Amino acid sequence: MKLKKLVALILALAMALSLVACGGSSSSSTTTTGDSSTTTASSDGSYSVTELTVNIWDNNQLDGLQQIADEWTETSGVSVNINVVDWDNYWTLLEAGASGGDMPDVFWMHSNTSQMYMENDLLLNLDDYIAADDDIDLANYYEGIVDLYNSDGVQYAVPKDHDTIALLYNKAIFDEYGIDYPTDDWSWDDVLAAATAITEAGADDGVYGFAMNTSNNQDGWYNLIYGYGGEVVTEDHTDTTIDSDASKAGMEMMRQILEVSVDQTTVAETGTDSLFMSGKVAMITQGSWMVIQFYEAENADDYVWVEIPYCDVNGNGECDDGERVSSYNGLGWAASYSTADPQAAYDLISWFCNYDNQVKQAELGVTMAGYVGADEAFSTAFGDMDVSAFLKVEEDGTLFFRPYTRNTTVWEDALQQTGCFLDAWLDPSDPDLMSQACDSAAEIIRNAIAEE
Amino acid sequence: MKEKKGMTKAEKNTAMWAYLFVAPTMIGLIILNFYPIFNTIYQAFCKTGDFGKGNTFVGFANFQSLIVGSNSAEFWQSLLNTVKYAIIEVPFSIVIALVLAVFLNRKKMHGVTVYRTLFFMPMVCAPAAVAMVWKWLYNQQFGLINNIFGTSIAWISNPSIAWISVGIIGVWSIIGYNMVLFISGLQEIPGDYYEAAEIDGATGIRQFFSITIPLLSPTTFFIVQTRIIGALTVFDLMFMVMDKTNQALPKVQSVVYVFYTYAFTNGNKGMGAAVVCLLLVFILIITLILQSCEKKFVFYN
Repeated sequence: MKLKKLVALILALAMALSLVACGGSSSSSTTTTGDSSTTTASSDGSYSVTELTVNIWDNNQLDGLQQIADEWTETSGVSVNINVVDWDNYWTLLEAGASGGDMPDVFWMHSNTSQMYMENDLLLNLDDYIAADDDIDLANYYEGIVDLYNSDGVQYAVPKDHDTIALLYNKAIFDEYGIDYPTDDWSWDDVLAAATAITEAGADDGVYGFAMNTSNNQDGWYNLIYGYGGEVVTEDHTDTTIDSDASKAGMEMMRQILEVSVDQTTVAETGTDSLFMSGKVAMITQGSWMVIQFYEAENADDYVWVEIPYCDVNGNGECDDGERVSSYNGLGWAASYSTADPQAAYDLISWFCNYDNQVKQAELGVTMAGYVGADEAFSTAFGDMDVSAFLKVEEDGTLFFRPYTRNTTVWEDALQQTGCFLDAWLDPSDPDLMSQACDSAAEIIRNAIAEE
Repeated sequence: MKEKKGMTKAEKNTAMWAYLFVAPTMIGLIILNFYPIFNTIYQAFCKTGDFGKGNTFVGFANFQSLIVGSNSAEFWQSLLNTVKYAIIEVPFSIVIALVLAVFLNRKKMHGVTVYRTLFFMPMVCAPAAVAMVWKWLYNQQFGLINNIFGTSIAWISNPSIAWISVGIIGVWSIIGYNMVLFISGLQEIPGDYYEAAEIDGATGIRQFFSITIPLLSPTTFFIVQTRIIGALTVFDLMFMVMDKTNQALPKVQSVVYVFYTYAFTNGNKGMGAAVVCLLLVFILIITLILQSCEKKFVFYN
């Protein structure tokens, strides 16, 4: 029967295609393998493996990290194979690997999920290795990040980096409409005024003053909540004050800015960074991990970073103590509990985290260091683009750690969607909606914590 | 009196070979299909622990939460969304494919194979790539569609039309596949019927409705059945086309999307398993209804 034949043919074709696709992806994932011809150059020669696999999620950091890793390969003789898996799939893959007992040797940990991995003993206990290692003294690293990767007194990861938030603006748009450039001394009220002026003047060109999606939390509205004295998750990770008056005051400021910002429908379809790089938006807030993307953009010469605006809570027009806040977070280098050669895996982590390579990481513009005082070089890593705003906020501002609980994603995603802040974002003209969204957010977070 | 005393050596040999030949398929089915199916059903009754460890049996709690409890609004809405998607995808893709198949089945036409290849193309493309291209076509500010027609319609962000936009992508992707099946069905119809009809003075349209459609009904039934199942398990289109912060998402997300959110984003495998179990029951019911319709509508010569 022809039909059957045809179906069989199509099935065979589909199978062949999927096989080809599989083959393609597996071969492409090994293209980043470091030089493995140096196996005899090992200084101590005590490793039982010749290759370590490393998973990361940020393609922007691949080149710099591979360079640092290759230097380790030269002395250790163990090649390092770094795979980039995008953020969403990274966690799906890692979880599947963890359930099936097949994780990469060394990989990044993040505050969203670290608790779960640590409590289930899926990460290598690094205590003994750190104690025996002269290069690593945890006191030298950002305390919040060290604590994050510590569970019941056991250290499971060494801080890889840290990040802060700054305001990014497009000089060309400010010139076009004759509006003063933002400075390090701006408050969110100044941002509101400038955004209003630009959105009005640019109405015919479709240019807006500001853009923020509900998903811009760590690099966006979280900073307003904390700046006005609220907390998304309390310090002991058991409650929230997102429905407090302070939080609501922060989100009210946000709401007023949203009134003159790009509408939510557009940012959900195009993304604030794409809109900014297309010259449609004058100002956005961004995290330090995104700098490379803007540095490599076509009109990078027009892009200027200034410190994150402060929250003028008392209304005196000056940046008082505690009014400028920026979220910070840090990734950790962790190893799998089942890695074939724990010493090799740890030594690679130690290599990535020692002072010299933390400096180098900043120098190469990969990210800011997890080692305190190792990132002066970061501010000049991008040639003419001055990114010192990310470092200055640590001097004259307050940092708060990106809020997390045991299963952060559950409430973090819900907060961005219908039934919470998305409703307020869709109609920013109504102050009640924003206030209600804060109440719903509190309920969502409390329910999620209760479920954990 | 003949009594069977085990198998002869030759019979045993034959049986062994038979088992050997079906083994690859059977082992594949058992490991990749049967085991996951039963494990999923088991997990649906559990509050699953992290990383597949420490599952605790909770009975029907997950199902209760989905059907009447705190997750019921989301679940029923997603089922409605999926049915709406199927209502667009299945009939339109079949009707359009049938018409195309009839045209492309005429041997007199030049370049028939070229056209067939063109229409089959979307089937060969990765669904994710297809979805990305459509996502940009649909973009409200910078999309090609709005630019050509000078409109500013939020194709994928307006909750009242986004489901249609996504449905159109589904139709576009599957037309070629349906068309090829129809062409093969058309070639099974003996040419004598058409000659006889022509002698009797039947027009082309009359021939189409009186000969082609009835004689094509086995193929049509096959396509309807497989496409309904395919449409009810749709996931990649919604996942690729719509951002998590898209306001239309709750009105478009399919049952499998909800499953993905529960099981993989939120790490709640038990709830996710319960979602797909309910979907399985739904598909079983639809299939049973279809099977009982088969005798009524399908002509096997």
